[in-house]
Amino acid sequence: MSRKIIQIDMNRVEGDVDFQLELEGSRIVDARCVGSLYRGFEQILLGRKPMDALVMTPRICGICGTAQLNAAVLALEHLARLPVPPAAMRIRNLCLMAETVQSDLRQSFLFFTADFCHPKYRSLPLYDKARAAFLPFQGEIYRGALEHSRHIVEIIALFGGQWPHSSYMVPGGVTTPASSRHLIDGLSLLNKLTRWFEKSVIGTPLDDWLALQSADEFFDWLEAGEAHADSAIGLLTRMSREIGLHRLGCGTPHMISYGAYDDPEDVENFSPYRKRLFKAGFLNGDAGSIEPFDQNEITEHVRYSWFLPYPGGRHPFQGQTVPDYQPHSDRYTWCKAPRYRDKVVQTGPLADALIDGEPLIHALYRAEGGNAWLRQFARLHRTARLLKAMSQLLHELAAHPGEPHILPPADKEIPDGEGFGLVTAARGALGHWLQVRDGVISRYQVITPTAWNASPKDSEGRHGHWESSLIGLTVEDPDDPVEIGHIIRSHDPCLVCTVHLLDTGKRLTVWP
Amino acid sequence: MCHIVCFGNELHGDDGFGMRVYEMLCRQVWPNDVKVFNAGVAGLNALRFLENCSRVILVDALANFGSPGQIYVLKSEDLAEGRQELSGHGLGIPYLLEALKAIREPLPDIRIVGVEIEGVRPFFIGLSEKTERAVIETVRLIRGLVIV
Repeated sequence: MSRKIIQIDMNRVEGDVDFQLELEGSRIVDARCVGSLYRGFEQILLGRKPMDALVMTPRICGICGTAQLNAAVLALEHLARLPVPPAAMRIRNLCLMAETVQSDLRQSFLFFTADFCHPKYRSLPLYDKARAAFLPFQGEIYRGALEHSRHIVEIIALFGGQWPHSSYMVPGGVTTPASSRHLIDGLSLLNKLTRWFEKSVIGTPLDDWLALQSADEFFDWLEAGEAHADSAIGLLTRMSREIGLHRLGCGTPHMISYGAYDDPEDVENFSPYRKRLFKAGFLNGDAGSIEPFDQNEITEHVRYSWFLPYPGGRHPFQGQTVPDYQPHSDRYTWCKAPRYRDKVVQTGPLADALIDGEPLIHALYRAEGGNAWLRQFARLHRTARLLKAMSQLLHELAAHPGEPHILPPADKEIPDGEGFGLVTAARGALGHWLQVRDGVISRYQVITPTAWNASPKDSEGRHGHWESSLIGLTVEDPDDPVEIGHIIRSHDPCLVCTVHLLDTGKRLTVWP
Repeated sequence: MCHIVCFGNELHGDDGFGMRVYEMLCRQVWPNDVKVFNAGVAGLNALRFLENCSRVILVDALANFGSPGQIYVLKSEDLAEGRQELSGHGLGIPYLLEALKAIREPLPDIRIVGVEIEGVRPFFIGLSEKTERAVIETVRLIRGLVIV
């Protein structure tokens, strides 16, 4: 059998990620996930005042800047042991949810479902319906997602002054209280999106959809009428299952979630010991059990990355990020290889829902495992949960007018010490680890969700999650490997792009 | 209302062309019905800048159009040839214009003003000589397009 190497530029994904695949015949026997962009935020932050992290780290990403800001402010509050009032936690949660909803709708309907319109699927019975819904710029759902997703982040602009790259979360709270004007405008934005989501995405009222708890209930719902079957999620599910995405792209069985959204009722505890509305945990894929999460168990390896080498793995508080580009060695990426308890793990909405104990996702996972379809389905299931939670948060804020939005720290300076901030961004577990010495940042380490999923091999030679999702896969046409697009896009990859220019040149890409 | 929307990343050499033009535009006095925006690398979020206006001028660096330093005024259909790039944050103008077509009717009158750059240089601040030389002329050209 001949061995062939192909290089794939994942065009529609966020930013710069390539895959180098080795094929024997049509079977993938080795995979290297290449993050081709160096960012260097860890270096930029060294020697700066700790509060500068609030301005700089939201710039790490144009999509999850609110989550980056939250991780930074939690790390500072952990270090300085600062309490936060409930109103601030509610405002923070509301804004984090808005950002996630926007990202999830765009990922689902601007990036993922476009693959269903591939000419390869022409002969499938659902093809025409899929095109009518999902064809880029023309499909009804595509256009709806484009229009409706963009307004929801205006909620962040109401409370945070701007989006993206806002810096309104500060140690001790947020910069602005929730005025009645903010609440009314926020509710109006939310209601508009929720109406579209109910009508077009789930074809059913939000509460009815969230009441589905078992695999049987879900599949009965799917067949209960055209409004369900032809809703965006109905079509996505039926098309995925015709193609076989419920059997593809499982990758590592181990999953982590940092938990999401600090509980505003838990005013006794400081971050990171505060309760969360969605639970944190480690899903041990070997034992099938969910275990408590402990950030001490995180390490990062650089054996196959373009960073100054060190042996084994290091916890972020001992970590370093020193670029060492060696394109002609066996190292192949700007991503480090994070590991939890020395295991390769995945993160994202599927991991979050399973670890939180969400019944429907659990039932589907027990039936078929963690596959590309379920991962995508879990993301849209989360949207329904978040829309409901956002409505509750706005009403809670309205029910507590005039409560403080900040508890100003007694000392304006952040003291020397160390702290970390763990949050759930749209793509999964995001962490910042910060050390301050002599009044300035002496170490700042960021582990993004995509770093977990797009991880290269570690010091022991273990492949990262995406790599292992692809190894063993049979590709129908190695010159047009649409299967790889389905699998990788189901993770909402993000390796942020900063270079951009107008280009009429042609590139080799996964369709379209 | 006419919106002039500049794109680019000044940290990557010639990719900062649009940002240099933005700086120059900001130093000038414009009629009340003209607004100048810095869109940076906003991608799809730049749709905001294309609302509530009847005319739009987009400013960006160009590749594969001609020789470095040359200035072009294009219409959106001039970008339609060949495969369009579809990505996320780095979306690019072709994607933005397609998105605009999908959600807005009628479309504003759109012109794209760009210069063929020598090349993107990662983590380098400053434009190459030929690109820098095109900045003043580009600003003059935009002025001519706006004030008619």
